[in-house]
Amino acid sequence: MRVFLEQVINGLTIGSFYALIALGYSMVYGILKLINFAHGDFFTLGSYLGYTFLVFGSAALTSRLGIWGGMVLVTAASALCVALVGIGVERAAYRPIYPAGRLPAVVSALGASIFLQNAVMVLWGPRYRAYPAELIPDTALAWGGIHVSLLQLVILLVSFALMGALYVIIQRTLFGAAVRATALDRDTASLMGINFNKVILFIFTLGPALGAVTGVMVGLYYRQISFTMGWNYGLKAFTATILGGIGSLPGAMFGGLILGLLEMLGGAYISAAWKDVFVFLILILVLIFRPTGLFGEKTAEKV
Amino acid sequence: MKKAVLFVAVTALMLTGLPRTAQAADPVVIGLQGPITGPWAYEGEMARRSCEIAAELINKKGGILGGRKVEVRVVDDAGEPKTGALAAQKLVGQKDVVAAVATYGSSISETASTIYEKFKKVNIGYGVTAVRLTQRGFKYFFRTCGRDDSQGAFFAKEVPSRFNARRIAIMHDNTAFGKGLAEDTRKALQDLAGTARVEVVFYDAVTPGEKDFRVILTKLREARPDVWYYTGYYAEAALLVSQARSIGVTCPFVGGNAAINDEFVKIAGIEIAKGCYMTNEPLPSDLPYPEAREFLDAYRAKFGEIPSSPWPIYAADALNIIAHSIDKTGSTRAEVLADYLRDKVNGVPGITGPIGFTPQGDREGVPFYLYVVDASGRITVAK
Repeated sequence: MRVFLEQVINGLTIGSFYALIALGYSMVYGILKLINFAHGDFFTLGSYLGYTFLVFGSAALTSRLGIWGGMVLVTAASALCVALVGIGVERAAYRPIYPAGRLPAVVSALGASIFLQNAVMVLWGPRYRAYPAELIPDTALAWGGIHVSLLQLVILLVSFALMGALYVIIQRTLFGAAVRATALDRDTASLMGINFNKVILFIFTLGPALGAVTGVMVGLYYRQISFTMGWNYGLKAFTATILGGIGSLPGAMFGGLILGLLEMLGGAYISAAWKDVFVFLILILVLIFRPTGLFGEKTAEKV
Repeated sequence: MKKAVLFVAVTALMLTGLPRTAQAADPVVIGLQGPITGPWAYEGEMARRSCEIAAELINKKGGILGGRKVEVRVVDDAGEPKTGALAAQKLVGQKDVVAAVATYGSSISETASTIYEKFKKVNIGYGVTAVRLTQRGFKYFFRTCGRDDSQGAFFAKEVPSRFNARRIAIMHDNTAFGKGLAEDTRKALQDLAGTARVEVVFYDAVTPGEKDFRVILTKLREARPDVWYYTGYYAEAALLVSQARSIGVTCPFVGGNAAINDEFVKIAGIEIAKGCYMTNEPLPSDLPYPEAREFLDAYRAKFGEIPSSPWPIYAADALNIIAHSIDKTGSTRAEVLADYLRDKVNGVPGITGPIGFTPQGDREGVPFYLYVVDASGRITVAK
């Protein structure tokens, strides 16, 4: 039972990373029907920027704001920078190509991914970088033999708060309604006076920013980051997106969490070496028996 | 024209006419085949310097065979198997080269030692750790360095008794090196099970490049090991130790010789890294023997630093043991030297400790040390 509860918490933590990245995939797909392969690299970039801000601003941050205040500022700054990069990538690599159709846009997305990954390698070097251990607020907690870290709980809390906030924005605000309308039918939405470019600006700000926040959290959680890690996380998050039903926001959230849990529990109770096999086996089963994903039909509106 | 032809003829006659016998003043030439150029050039250069110093020290003490000096003749194998065979041919073609220190890389030795064997020349490897090299029944091949499996044997001998550990966990990373070391260690521990109460309670692999190892670490924790050996590389090792400590794995961590370095300490952080152990070839500066001190002093005096890797000093020891055998047998014949190295050399003091060879030509009692990360993050010999 103790092991089970620990693995559930570990699974939810890693699952919330997948979910936050998956949201970025899903939003872009909902609006543009484009699989944004560069999304995993927004995540990497966010992680490296967070690392840089943390290392170079450490003294000033911690003395003025306290360590948690510093974390919030570092994460926010990284998210802002990556959002700007996201907007730039959309302008440079996607917008000129929309008229050519969906396939060229996917190829362009792959190109953007390779560009970003190599840019990170050139700027920060090919070696592993490590978030400085002494700057990370972390306490090991143990309740009745269950080992959890404070950081893990904070990460879970922040992730759920972000997912909740995004859900409220999309479902309850007027602008959210505009985004949903665009996802349903772009032309009709435009005729109703919705500014398509503003919607795109919105998703290419929010998606990369969420990716960057995840990147910083992954850096804090594992401490070690590398320029290629976006690929692995991107692939898992993409799987989560498919699992939940691509284009559906609750689908992306639950897809990510389910994936994280599957990975951890499958690894714990069947075989750790085979855990990726379970993940992709589930993906194949979902694609065969429910191609629209777990949430693909229940939520009529896709965003 | 006529004059020139006559000159050449006379000279040739003179050269062939003079009997070339070894004079007392002639140096004894020992070859060094190493990667002087190519990707391992740095290692080759350090080996060359080490052999020069070793020869100088012998000569300073009056040389061998009653006053003859030792001379090192270097050939470059560029760290390539093909060039390695050519380099070996170059050395065996020179009649005055009596034996060779050869070489740094296992795959290069694979081809080169075949040539030396064919032309009957003693060759001693100094960085060639592949197990198979001494399984071929060669008469003239020896090595002063250890084998890939000597690290596992060292772990079995040293670690359980030091930590008073009965339950051992072994974890590898499925790479050829990591898995090989893990298997050798498990085998060595099983061999030990007859005499000591040790048991491998956990044996599993992680996937390199992963970031989250909590699943496998939870299993490791539930196996309740007394000590935990990881045979992979530092990037995963650092994550493993950090995550293990956060989920309550408290047993000592021991890494293989690829698991712990300065990067490991940086990624894991000093708090986590301190007290982590590692099995490793002794670094030159950590050798306690008087021969080592004398050698390193001379090396530092000439080059301003000491070798930064463990391997060059094995080259120096190879040269020393060749010179020692020539001096003791009074012969430079390969058959005599090979028999002497195999049967008579036993516990001869060397820079890397007492030297002796098994019947296969492996080094006997290969030195391995247990290192530990101290409170300031430096990797030092465990007391």
